[in-house]
Amino acid sequence: MSKVDIEKKILSKNDRVAIENRQKFSDAGLLVFNIISSPGSGKTTLLEATLDRLAGEMRILVIEGDVSTERDMDRVRAHGADGIQINTGGGCHLSAKMISDVLDRLDLEAADIVFIENVGNLICPSTYDLGEDIRMVLLSTAEGDDKPMKYPSIFHEAELAIITKIDLLPHLEFDVEKVATEISVLNSECEVLKLSALRGEGMEVWIEWIRKRLEMKRAARPAAGE
Amino acid sequence: MHELSICESMLEIVEKTMEQHPDATLQRIFLDIGRGSTVESVLLSEAFEVITTGGPYEGVELVINDIPIAGRCRSCKREFTYEEFALGCPSCGSTDIEIHSGLELDIKHLEIDEG
Repeated sequence: MSKVDIEKKILSKNDRVAIENRQKFSDAGLLVFNIISSPGSGKTTLLEATLDRLAGEMRILVIEGDVSTERDMDRVRAHGADGIQINTGGGCHLSAKMISDVLDRLDLEAADIVFIENVGNLICPSTYDLGEDIRMVLLSTAEGDDKPMKYPSIFHEAELAIITKIDLLPHLEFDVEKVATEISVLNSECEVLKLSALRGEGMEVWIEWIRKRLEMKRAARPAAGE
Repeated sequence: MHELSICESMLEIVEKTMEQHPDATLQRIFLDIGRGSTVESVLLSEAFEVITTGGPYEGVELVINDIPIAGRCRSCKREFTYEEFALGCPSCGSTDIEIHSGLELDIKHLEIDEG
């Protein structure tokens, strides 16, 4: 019996493709978000409200990941986004290759921002780098305030957590401070925002956050022709 | 349940490695799987069995090294290990902690029988 050393990350191939995606996005000067949450926490509603507020200011591409249907793509198209729907046919997450496979069909040069809406799932997508700049997680008040410690890895990985549906707080027992504390223990660098995409409360802070990050990304990019 | 796609990625690496040992028989695959990696060892073993049945790797043993979450408290400077993610330092209770292992999803080595 002999031993053959490998010492590799199991997802090393995904990570490699993610690096290529990140380079393509960067070359086009794009800021890219990977939005992760459980189904029904308001990813698409947040995108709709975001598109309305950034209309005429930023050009936005959306890559929608769902097991089936084009429903989410139809919704964001109605709010002015271009983009593409990926159907995973049962798969519980997007992978870097699924993104890479559709990049040629998107006009990256004509956009400022890409939102990748991952398949609704709080566990599996957190393991797969897609080549995004910002991995963000949504947690809706209706899901309960015990979720960060129950699904720790996504909160450990995310750079931004958004508590959605705060207009429902008067009807729920949801402790916003407890959630913010648990997230900060899991990941002291994760920023926490709270908003209601439907009613508008907190949206302006989120929109400012996007503006600031796009500016930072552009400042880090060498000027064209260099 | 992404253990099936994790398994496929792992087998791709195994197949590539075994191409360099065409006459050998694969006996065991050794993995490091962290408790905080989102991959459940039991499900991974089941997925491996399903995916390898009827193929050249049927009966190969998957040896999973289950790695607890380990870190260090920035307040009291103590090192600690957890079975799962937890809220704060087990010694002083501080929430200012850093995690340095337990997120592994690695293929370490193979054990083969040279033909």
